[in-house]
Amino acid sequence: MNILLFMIPLSLLLLAGAVAAFFWAVDHAQFDDLDTPGLVPLDDAPKQIASPGEPK
Amino acid sequence: MSVTPTTCWHCGEALLIGRALHSHIAGESRAMCCEGCRAAAEWIEQLGLADFYRLRARSNAKPAGRTTNSDLWRRPENARHVVRDLSDGQHEVLLAIAGIRCSACAWLIERVLTALPGVVAVQVSPSSQRIRIIWRDSTDLPTLLGALERSGYSAMPLDVHQLHDARRAESRDALKRLLVAGFGAMQAMMYATAVYLGSVDSLDASTRGLLRWLQFLVAIPVVFYAARTFFVGAGRSLRARQLNMDVPIACAIAVVCIASLFETLRNGGEVYFDSITMFVFLLLAGRYLEMRARHHAGELTDALARLAPAYADRYLDERRFERVAAHELRVGDCVHVGDGAIVPADGVLLSEHCRVDEALFTGESAAVIKRRGDRLVAGSALEDGPAKLRIERIGADTALACMARLVADAQTRRPHLQSAGDRAASRFVARVLSLAAFTIIAWCFVDPSRAFPAALAVLVVSCPCAFALAVSAAFTRALATLAQHGILVARPDGIESLAGVTHAVFDKTGTLTQPSAAIADIDTFRGCSKSEALQLAASLARHSRHPIARVIAALEPRIDGSEAHGVMVHTGLGISGRISGRALRLGRSDFALGRGHVPAASEDDLLLTDEHGVLAAFHLREQLRPDTASAVDTLRSQGLSVLIASGDSATKVRATAERLRIADWRARLSPSQKLDWLRDLRGKGARVLVVGDGVNDAPVLTGADVGIALAEGAELAQASSDIVLSNARLDSIASARVVAQQTLAIVQQNQRWAVLYNVMAVPLAALGFVPPWLAAIGMSVSSLAVVLNTLRIRWPDAITRTSTTAASPSIAQRARTA
Repeated sequence: MNILLFMIPLSLLLLAGAVAAFFWAVDHAQFDDLDTPGLVPLDDAPKQIASPGEPK
Repeated sequence: MSVTPTTCWHCGEALLIGRALHSHIAGESRAMCCEGCRAAAEWIEQLGLADFYRLRARSNAKPAGRTTNSDLWRRPENARHVVRDLSDGQHEVLLAIAGIRCSACAWLIERVLTALPGVVAVQVSPSSQRIRIIWRDSTDLPTLLGALERSGYSAMPLDVHQLHDARRAESRDALKRLLVAGFGAMQAMMYATAVYLGSVDSLDASTRGLLRWLQFLVAIPVVFYAARTFFVGAGRSLRARQLNMDVPIACAIAVVCIASLFETLRNGGEVYFDSITMFVFLLLAGRYLEMRARHHAGELTDALARLAPAYADRYLDERRFERVAAHELRVGDCVHVGDGAIVPADGVLLSEHCRVDEALFTGESAAVIKRRGDRLVAGSALEDGPAKLRIERIGADTALACMARLVADAQTRRPHLQSAGDRAASRFVARVLSLAAFTIIAWCFVDPSRAFPAALAVLVVSCPCAFALAVSAAFTRALATLAQHGILVARPDGIESLAGVTHAVFDKTGTLTQPSAAIADIDTFRGCSKSEALQLAASLARHSRHPIARVIAALEPRIDGSEAHGVMVHTGLGISGRISGRALRLGRSDFALGRGHVPAASEDDLLLTDEHGVLAAFHLREQLRPDTASAVDTLRSQGLSVLIASGDSATKVRATAERLRIADWRARLSPSQKLDWLRDLRGKGARVLVVGDGVNDAPVLTGADVGIALAEGAELAQASSDIVLSNARLDSIASARVVAQQTLAIVQQNQRWAVLYNVMAVPLAALGFVPPWLAAIGMSVSSLAVVLNTLRIRWPDAITRTSTTAASPSIAQRARTA
């Protein structure tokens, strides 16, 4: 049962890490748009994107 | 045989034969309707983003055309209002964008912008129609706006104060709290299960104590961080001397946690941390869903900002003018308003004459002719210009700004049916607390040592979890069901109000009727056939931008006007030209006939004449939407009184009312007069539903019990209303009402179930038969039952329709049979 004394603090630490990572993700706009990223895998092999110059 | 395309590849509008432009997109030749669409499509292809056309779900908006506003934003005194400078040499701006139709548009915009050098980050939000861009000094705002316009989207920078996006902050905060509650609940349950299993398999006291302390530990962030909203809400409610749902929730959380802590210290009795954390998690989940539904509507401030034009062309001297920002105008300045542009501020007309569309204020279906010396208002659209104005009122003094204030004001004083959940909650609190007190007292007589644990068990078991979920789950389900059928609910209160309305007030123009008039009838004279008359009229009509001319031209899409020579457009009167040697005139009766035989005609008729007299008379009539008649009849059969409140002329309103057999109607009403009529009705106890689409309906929509706007209509109307019909089918209102009533019924059933559950479980808890694991199971089962019950909310299959007014056959069909 002594292993519990090690496992429990470890799990709490991992939990704290998970929550911190999630908070970081929310603050950096990871969860703001949940619809558009779904379209990315449907994209074909990326073509050469021409650099858009000044429109005139 | 190849199929000739009939719609534009980019925007989906009808192609005019012979007018289509072609371009190679993604390896195939595609037809486009106008230069703007072609430019946008070629630009997208050039950037290597032609996949966009594969991914999009709907066709794009037609590009508004190249505007030369970019120079405006080069000037620092203007850019200062919209760009925020960040610490490390970066800049941030928030743009309101029009034309985002689906996620593929958002994808395209993001790709286009990130391809520009100097752009650091782009966040596109399709649901709120905004873009946030962060960039470095190697690019600038005009370049960004230009790239967006080339792709076919019109973007407008918002004031720098909007950068602090309240809704985004609220959404992020809710998500964080939801997650903390979720993790906390899972951890607490994990430790609690160990204790439950331990009680079967005998756990020694010290381990049990440890596990209890651990439960307490993981419950702390849940109570102090995640559940903070409940405490704040309860505090606010108690200070206002009312009891809303937050009060029993906050009480329950506080008491149960303190009691469980006490038991942990005492190392006896039972602890309920797992139940309480799960309780918090379920409640927050319900509220998060509700909030997301709420946030899916447009911002009122965006809509208001888009109304007033941001730019104006101010005269420097007699000839030249420069483009300035609207807020730089001063009283006495002279401005130039181009053909088709929006008037920037209230002023006096200096040009000879022009025609403006003032539907903004009056709801009039026809444009008004203004002569020198007449007043023009900011926000009206110039149909026949250009015009020169002297500014009299700017900024907050314009009539438009006054209307905006009216709308914003009415919104803060919204009528609000106190939600059914809140009312039941106040009764519930009293019941729970008295039950708990009663338990303690009763036990004190029998066995005081069991009094406290029993009371605690009572509190936990009677936790208003199912109760709280009852309302939010039902509303979320109702919102989703309605959204599936094209009804977007911006404010969930609207559902409850919709179920209880007694009167339905409709605006006429654009709501009951199609936005543009249609030709109802053609009378021909002197042997001219209807199809010939239409073709001649269409040839002339194609040369004018007047909406009626456009309607005629649309009836004969194959005619492109090239056979008419010497065409002259006479503002407000008609069109003249020569076709096959005949001098023809199309227009008002006094224009079309200099002299000659005048058949009896109303002012709305259009005459086609040649040198010898009248060839044809086109009778105009406002076309009802196809489902208007059945919608009105269905609403009447549901027991509502149907009324019309319109700003248009009495003759037109009477005609429409008679066609729909509506007895009570008012015409020539200004927005504030409409509001007064609403107040009258509501003062007599009626609950009013208002349906409108124009900007002038916005104050009325906020003043009603329920406001419904059409998605085709003005943005301001949509932002001011509770419900938006994105499918523009009026008969869905009746179906929505059925869903709303169903929702209220299900909420009532859920609440009864919650009460029944309490009645069964509380005596058991009071008698000490409910250990914590049973309480947790009971809570989840009752919540599950509530959620499953809400799945019964469904779109009604068939609403009985009785249509008494038959739709008139299209005029083009009738002409061809002539």
